[in-house]
Amino acid sequence: MDCREYVDKFLSAHADGELASRERRLADSHVGGCTACRTRLAEERSLKVLVRQHTNIVKVPAEVHLRIRAAIGEMTDPNFIGRNLSTRGQDSDRRFLWPMRQTHVWAPIAAAAAVLLFLAVYSGRSGTPAPATQFHPVPVFDLAIIKYDSLTRYFVPNVPSDRNGTDFAWVMDRRDSGQPDAGMREDIGRSYSEADMPDDLFNFAPTGYQVSGGRLDRLTDGRPVTYTLYRGSRDAILDIGLKDPEMSAPVGAVYWIGMHSFYEYKGYSFCLTLSSPGHFVSITLTRAPLTELIRDVAMADALATSDDQ
Amino acid sequence: MFEQVALPHLDAVYTAALRLTHNSDDAKDLLQDTILRAYRFFDQFKIGTNCRAWLLTILYNNFRNNCRRHTREQLAATVEQFDHQAETRSLVDDPPLRNPEELIATRMAARRFEVVLNSLPSEFREVLILVDVQELNYQEIADVLEIPLGTVKSRVSRARAMIRKAMLKAAVSRGKTGS
Repeated sequence: MDCREYVDKFLSAHADGELASRERRLADSHVGGCTACRTRLAEERSLKVLVRQHTNIVKVPAEVHLRIRAAIGEMTDPNFIGRNLSTRGQDSDRRFLWPMRQTHVWAPIAAAAAVLLFLAVYSGRSGTPAPATQFHPVPVFDLAIIKYDSLTRYFVPNVPSDRNGTDFAWVMDRRDSGQPDAGMREDIGRSYSEADMPDDLFNFAPTGYQVSGGRLDRLTDGRPVTYTLYRGSRDAILDIGLKDPEMSAPVGAVYWIGMHSFYEYKGYSFCLTLSSPGHFVSITLTRAPLTELIRDVAMADALATSDDQ
Repeated sequence: MFEQVALPHLDAVYTAALRLTHNSDDAKDLLQDTILRAYRFFDQFKIGTNCRAWLLTILYNNFRNNCRRHTREQLAATVEQFDHQAETRSLVDDPPLRNPEELIATRMAARRFEVVLNSLPSEFREVLILVDVQELNYQEIADVLEIPLGTVKSRVSRARAMIRKAMLKAAVSRGKTGS
């Protein structure tokens, strides 16, 4: 072995302890008899130390620690979402028994209600009388806000998936280009359907939101939960779907339309949709004003209705 | 079990996330998504193997799949750009000479090293960080970055050679100017 061969082929791996035993014997032998290469090896090791010194390990901020531990706790507790919402719901006399977004059954009523509501909102009338806004804490809404804040900032879709949820990049790469999102909604819906979840995603395109992607996760008790993210020019809408036969709406809704109840909570606008057949629950939230969310949902329902007809 | 095995590596994973995203908000979200994903798939982790390497593999996968296009890439894209960028930045960013000479020399050398390191093309800097800071072995790095083992070896070697060359060049340049 000459110096050039040592430096080109062995030096870095030698410094990193990555040489196989035979290679190492050869390298040690060369370095033992070559002052220049011994110096180079010492330099290489110094360089490793320098890189480490100039690349400090950064401590995770405390609030991130808490968020992660809380999220793990959420995933660990099989009844977390259902239990909290159900507890709040015991005070409520309001139950929404219509199927979630199954507009083929209620199409005419939903269409009429949606259009009337849309007109009411945009003509400045108040629509359905709203009770005074209360707010006791609603844990499930707090959780939804955490999800919203996290997923709107960084969303990794995992449906459609071709390897048990481990390969999903094409969803974003192929379609997230401002194109009409009907195809993506169909693809995501198909994946949801395979998990026995509702496959009819909101169509918010008429009000300026495109589907950004979908996630299908499971709670630790095996129940599927879906996250569908829609992005508009100013805001995002997150729809969280799960199945819970015991869930009922918390008190404090300020607006109702069909199976949807609307809430303003901690600066977020919520639409809660409960379905008796299938016991599906949909929690839809955004930072946009509540009137806009009502309009978006109403328009989506109206559009689904006209599609069905 | 997960908490004992995986959570001790949070700082290391967060550091890698910061390096990838250049943005603390993105890094926090990337970290959170990585850890939650690791939690869900923890049954796939082989006990006794390097958990940090496993977490970093998930981190890089997440980043590749979603985050990279959102980040502001300010790194040298090619080896050719590296020399120019390192030189330009060092000229612009050198602090004024106000302290005792030896201290200045040390600080400036440190500053220069940082400039050189941060100006490395990302694929070269990445392997150096993984081997020297995250203390992964070459095979683990190959798995994390999804590149052949031979590529890891050559990148590590070239990265150090580039740093050495840049530092020597800077030293010669300073010798000529007498500063």
